[in-house]
Amino acid sequence: MAHVSQRPVGEPGNLTAAGLLVPATIFVAIGLLVPIAILFRYSLNAFVPGKLMVDALTIANYVKFFTDPFYLQVLWRTVRVAVACTIFCLIFGFPLAYVLARTQSRHKNLLVMAIVLPLFVGNAVRAAGWMVAFGSKGFVNASLMGMGLISVPIEIMYTEMAVVIGIIAVNMPFMVLTLQSVIEGIDRNVEEAAFSLGAPPMTMAIRVLFPLALPGILAGVILTFILAMNAYATPVLLGGPKFQTMGPLVFSTFAQQNNWPFGGAVSFILMTVTLILTVASSLLIRRRYA
Amino acid sequence: MASLTLDGLTKSYGDVAVVKSVSLDVRDGEFLVLLGPSGCGKTTTLRMIAGFVPPSGGSIRIGDQDITGLPPWKRNAGLVFQSYALFPHMTVAQNVAFGLEMRKTARSEVAPRVAEALRLVRLDGFGERYPRQLSGGQQQRVALARALVIRPDVLLLDEPLSNLDAKLRLQVRLEIRALQQQTGLTTVMVTHDQEEALTMADRLVVMSDGAVRQLGTQSDLYERPADLFVADFVGRSTMIAGTVTAPGAFRSDGGLVLTCPASAVKGPATIALRPERLTLGPAAHGLDNHVPGAVSFVSYLGAMLDVHVRLNATDHVVVQVPNRSDGLAPAVGDAIEVGWPASACLVFPREAI
Repeated sequence: MAHVSQRPVGEPGNLTAAGLLVPATIFVAIGLLVPIAILFRYSLNAFVPGKLMVDALTIANYVKFFTDPFYLQVLWRTVRVAVACTIFCLIFGFPLAYVLARTQSRHKNLLVMAIVLPLFVGNAVRAAGWMVAFGSKGFVNASLMGMGLISVPIEIMYTEMAVVIGIIAVNMPFMVLTLQSVIEGIDRNVEEAAFSLGAPPMTMAIRVLFPLALPGILAGVILTFILAMNAYATPVLLGGPKFQTMGPLVFSTFAQQNNWPFGGAVSFILMTVTLILTVASSLLIRRRYA
Repeated sequence: MASLTLDGLTKSYGDVAVVKSVSLDVRDGEFLVLLGPSGCGKTTTLRMIAGFVPPSGGSIRIGDQDITGLPPWKRNAGLVFQSYALFPHMTVAQNVAFGLEMRKTARSEVAPRVAEALRLVRLDGFGERYPRQLSGGQQQRVALARALVIRPDVLLLDEPLSNLDAKLRLQVRLEIRALQQQTGLTTVMVTHDQEEALTMADRLVVMSDGAVRQLGTQSDLYERPADLFVADFVGRSTMIAGTVTAPGAFRSDGGLVLTCPASAVKGPATIALRPERLTLGPAAHGLDNHVPGAVSFVSYLGAMLDVHVRLNATDHVVVQVPNRSDGLAPAVGDAIEVGWPASACLVFPREAI
């Protein structure tokens, strides 16, 4: 009888499997790690107006960021907006994802398409749409005034609320689709078992559904949080020039002030804070439910 | 513990009636099995009892209490699923304790009751394991313990054995039956496996097309089936189509003239014959009906042989005979006589099955 290899694909020593990893690894190395390394080196350089970047080994750029209230304010605002967006996406997204995952409707595919539809429109175009809706004579104010609920237009445009709403609209599909795929993998009978054992819906959700959906919740939270931290078009267009967040700050430091060392430092701080908060939130959620 | 009463229970989705006015009385401590082919409405009936499907009409009572409008979490029903449906993120003990926690059982009482339930299903010492570390049979016993520990009014079993392999199924079947008798729980089980149903039930309900065809004990269903569907679904029968020409006289479409018990059936009719009531060979000669035929097929079942005998161009019967040690088994092509007493003929009005 011929010998059949029992080694599962991906086991160490399997040259074919290792070979499959090479292209992606090279791509990530060249496309991501190298630029990050270069950027980090830049962030330690000195900036002399007129001479651009001067080779140095200094942490002055980081000190500048963390000692200037303006930059700390920008960072704090970015984190606040990203956290708010992520929480709202989770709270609004979970019920939606649940319904989508459990529906028996023949039109399920259409529903999924409807969720993804906002992504068919580019960020900038969508933000422009929100600008029209949020303006003092925009759709929202006109409707509210038409219904007689308000007499003076409310200020939505160029506020934090506008930015949060705008980012939620972009990030929601990511949250919903991530959650949906995980919820679909949870046996409906497990929920019914909890009901039959005396758990009302909310108790069932907390004790059974959320813990089992945890991988999806984590993935969704990480995805939307990272996207929100790094949002660019939405805060620029809906927040206006005074509403600075980290993404636009990185761009303006590089492109408008030509201050590459400081831009590198800002990028690095944004990346590190995102990473730390992502890991922290994962640990928090895991501890709460696992 | 209590009796369970279904009264005119109906479920329709739009114009499609899935369960048509089912009325049943499950006595206190009785093991009732809902038996039927897939799509007959038995699972929907069970899910209405559990509270997952709101009935379109009719009522459900446990004892004297009408539970028709109660949500599942307020009906004290223990449910066991085909897929076990254990909570994968909880240990066996946590799974079993879940229902007690929901009932706010005193903490000091939970541990002993969980231990007792696990002992009942012979899984003491497995409390700290996770469901994924158990075999299918063990998982199903945990599911059983989880349903029993809450001391439910009724125990509902939804095809509890279908995911187990054949050998284990026989064993768990007996265990569930023994447990049910030990605890005296009013139990309703849904299955499509008639052997399972016959071995476990006190009484059975045969359903098809959303309606109850017959309610009765094993021998009621097997020996006195209410209609052709039950005769065909419970046990095995060969059918001979024909006409009742006079009370007690039947003429098959193939021209056989047979004696059968006098009944109210007139005109086009079908006779159902149980394979084991038929006799082969010279012994057939003294019986009410005896017909010459030719063996067309023999299937070997181990202890028994199924001998298919063609009687004429349209009629054939299946005869079950013991597999004798002398090797005198009929062979394909043998000319042979088949006989059966009139009482072996179950006569029904002709209908499409």
